[in-house]
Amino acid sequence: MRLNGSTVVVALAAALAGAGIARSVAQSPRQAGSPARPAPRPDRIEGRPNFSGIWQANNEAHWDLQAHAARPGAVTQPGVYPFEYARVAAAPVVALGAAAGIPASLGVVQDDGGIPYTPEALAVRNANAEHWIDRDPELKCYLPGIPRAMYMPYPFEVTQSTNKIHLAYAFANTARTIHLDEVDPPPAETWMGHSVGRWEGDTLIVDVSYFNDKTWFDRAGNFHSDALTLTERFSLLTPDVMQYEVTIEDPKVFTRPWRIAMPLYRRMEPNMQLLEYRCTEFAEEFLYGHVRKEPLVKRWEGETMIVEITRKVPPGDRFYEWLRK
Amino acid sequence: MRTRLLLVVGVAVVVGALAAVVRPWGAASAEADVPRTPWGEPDLQGIWTNEFDTPLQRAPRYGTREFFTDEERAALDEERLQLLGRDRRVERGTELDVAGAYNSVFMSMKRTGRRTSLIVDPADGRIPALTPEAQQRAAADRAFRLALLQATETCKNNSPACAGGTYVPTPSPRRDEPLGRYNTARMNRHYGPEDGSLSDRCLSGGVPEFGTAYGGSFRRVVQTPGGIAIFYDVGQGQGFQRNIVMNGGPHLPPQVRQWHGDSRARWDGDTLVVDVTNFSPKTDFFGSRENLHLVERWTRTGPDTLEYRVTIEDPTVWTRPWTVVEEFTRQNGKENRVYYEPRCHEGNYGFPSLLLAARLAEQAYAERRAPHPALMDNATDFVGVEENPLGR
Repeated sequence: MRLNGSTVVVALAAALAGAGIARSVAQSPRQAGSPARPAPRPDRIEGRPNFSGIWQANNEAHWDLQAHAARPGAVTQPGVYPFEYARVAAAPVVALGAAAGIPASLGVVQDDGGIPYTPEALAVRNANAEHWIDRDPELKCYLPGIPRAMYMPYPFEVTQSTNKIHLAYAFANTARTIHLDEVDPPPAETWMGHSVGRWEGDTLIVDVSYFNDKTWFDRAGNFHSDALTLTERFSLLTPDVMQYEVTIEDPKVFTRPWRIAMPLYRRMEPNMQLLEYRCTEFAEEFLYGHVRKEPLVKRWEGETMIVEITRKVPPGDRFYEWLRK
Repeated sequence: MRTRLLLVVGVAVVVGALAAVVRPWGAASAEADVPRTPWGEPDLQGIWTNEFDTPLQRAPRYGTREFFTDEERAALDEERLQLLGRDRRVERGTELDVAGAYNSVFMSMKRTGRRTSLIVDPADGRIPALTPEAQQRAAADRAFRLALLQATETCKNNSPACAGGTYVPTPSPRRDEPLGRYNTARMNRHYGPEDGSLSDRCLSGGVPEFGTAYGGSFRRVVQTPGGIAIFYDVGQGQGFQRNIVMNGGPHLPPQVRQWHGDSRARWDGDTLVVDVTNFSPKTDFFGSRENLHLVERWTRTGPDTLEYRVTIEDPTVWTRPWTVVEEFTRQNGKENRVYYEPRCHEGNYGFPSLLLAARLAEQAYAERRAPHPALMDNATDFVGVEENPLGR
């Protein structure tokens, strides 16, 4: 029997391709009896791009989604000038000096860069910004919500399987599971949303719903109601950079859907791992310090800088009242 | 002839490659029918829980017997059934009645499991003896907590919470002692958050996780080639994400300590082996803190079953290592009954209220409107839990 050359070439190509598939997919780290070695991450899982790994935003969206100039502090007060642009850092952060400033940003809000608040909602946003310390759930170490958890200045880890994609966030040690298979909705509203995903080619599209009204988008007071729904789009620009886009809808707060978009970057350190930021404990003094028997915050004396911080929680903004609003 | 050989080689490589896709280590696997991921690892994914109640430690009357008979299980179920919904009250209006608000009504109850204890080693099914140093630490801790209770009705009435203590009608002079060791359990003093238990502070939930009498014990496993994520739903909203590293690297440096430790995993045959160290001194597992070392073995044993086996050691606490086995059952994935959003902290009205009440009690005492706060027991709860024949 004679075979022509092209048949052989096809067979060899198939052989090489087959071996390639085996290398890229079948990378079990099982190595009994010998020290494990890091398993190279396959580019694709069941034909879909593999987002597994540790990622982090590298931008200023966690301060303010919108374009803004640098500011002298997260909390400011009028200085010697009557101009908004000449405010100075205020008591709660003044002791931190230049470390307490806010970096400038071109913003991540797409299209005209504006957030289409209703007039009533805009007033709430502005009041939120003014009472940032009292109202921002991040300071209390509450669950950060989506999309905020995606661009806080903490890493998160993606574990991508075939029917679930699990996202674990360093902040507050929280997580969410993106369900690619059929799953019943949650029994009640949530902080982190209920995420249901599907593939459109190489793009992962995730619908997130069942939110409560207690999470924010950033430290600038941008907020939403319990009518929030998100459509997230994840796509790989390179193996180590993903494009993350979200369409945000909330008819109680916004007059139309709006979008944010940003790249997220893979943490490349070879020994990178997700470490805990279990901030519940860190927020205890902030939340409960006033009901200690002996307050820890005292007036400093002598040559030590004396920082007098007066922060009276406004009526209606005490944490338990705020939670129930 | 030569081309034909090439073709045969080519086909063989293709077949070999495809076989590798399906099962990279081929016939080396002992449990060939274990469910596998598309990339060939044993599939540990899903929501898992122990569907039976089994005490951690074996009641001494069972000696070294590892399993109940069916008749014993039925009898225990019957006995425990009588406790269901039982609202045992002490005299209404007393402190202990309020403390007993968490009683058997709040206990979750599952059928009695086949094992007489979760502990399978040592052979008596009990936590090994403490080292002399650990005994001293435990005794000192107990003595301090009893001193805080000494002037309360709990001790006056010889309640179980005062076991080992004696009633003294005046507050203990030890009441203002600073804490020498990081506190993890509730005490009858509420000067600040640190006097609270980790549970009251929404900081409980940790590994190893054996469930509690008053809340679920679920874990969701998601795998990817070379990685695994486990999220725990435990207690009452005290779940946590556990980050597991599979890069083969060494444990974290000793100055990096974590509430849930540092988990390093590898596959040993079809078993996931996780080595856990670097625990925080703020955690406490039966007296073991920063020196706790766990070796966990996760093995899929059937279509809906998974065996979890953990060896626990800390030579500064126990005189020998000990081992616990749990048999998990896979839960319905579509129903998705896992509470993956623990929000104990977000709704923690109780803890600041406890602190505020303590300040108000001090003020009332200063104004001679109320007795000394140390005469009240604001630490004891779960009245009647000791009636459960499986114990806890």
